[in-house]
Amino acid sequence: MKKCLHRMLAGGVSALFIYAGANKALDPAAFAFDVQNYRVLPWLPSVFVALYLPWLEIVCGAALIPRRSDRAALWLLTGMMLVFLGALLSARVRGIDIACGCFGSSGKPGVFGEMLARDLAILAGLAVLLCCPRDRHG
Amino acid sequence: MPKLLRQISLLLLLALVPAGAAGLFHPRRPAWQSDEIVAGTAESWGEKVIWVDARPPAEFESGHIPGALSLNEEAWDASLPPLLDAWAPEKIVVVYCSTLSCQASHEVAHRLRDEVGLKEVRVLQGGWEAWRRLHP
Repeated sequence: MKKCLHRMLAGGVSALFIYAGANKALDPAAFAFDVQNYRVLPWLPSVFVALYLPWLEIVCGAALIPRRSDRAALWLLTGMMLVFLGALLSARVRGIDIACGCFGSSGKPGVFGEMLARDLAILAGLAVLLCCPRDRHG
Repeated sequence: MPKLLRQISLLLLLALVPAGAAGLFHPRRPAWQSDEIVAGTAESWGEKVIWVDARPPAEFESGHIPGALSLNEEAWDASLPPLLDAWAPEKIVVVYCSTLSCQASHEVAHRLRDEVGLKEVRVLQGGWEAWRRLHP
């Protein structure tokens, strides 16, 4: 039962990151504006982030499924989520209305509470997967 | 632990391949240089500039850069012809919205480049707020 739940959670998180990455990878120009809008990075680094980050999400999302690479993917995704949360909180503190850009560009500012809750929920899912390795469930 | 680090490095490298390809060949790849300019620079271009206000009509009505044309995504089709009438090859379109963090100016600039085919389209850094600071 636990093994089944673990698989479902891993599958869900994997699908979520592949979906989020694919949406952003479809329009890196729009995503670069979203990254730039956080006012943390100058333009050129924002461009590199906009080109690289979606593919890192897709690769890590896909790597969650095979047993041999899931730990590495989990650590990377957890690190990414902590960076996303830090950027979100930093934007909030500086009074910047941001479009999250998390699932591709909407062009409209998001609701801070919703974005925070979503990020925390994903982080919690990742934490569960990290703390309960697949092997432990047989 | 070394195995985990190896796998992490491998995933990081794997993502580099499509990211690099996207940077070179993606039809929607971002420009390497920022399209933003500061108000002082745009002003120094004088008559060459066509100011485009990407804020909602109500905000435009309550105040805008002198001579600016209103063009926002909600009324795109109706607002575009006046801009095309004012445009000439030597003109530079400068789009602005409310503040540093608004995105409407980027969206409008993007559409003017991609859909309308205008080459010289820039975004005013800080938008209307920055303009007001310069012209209190």
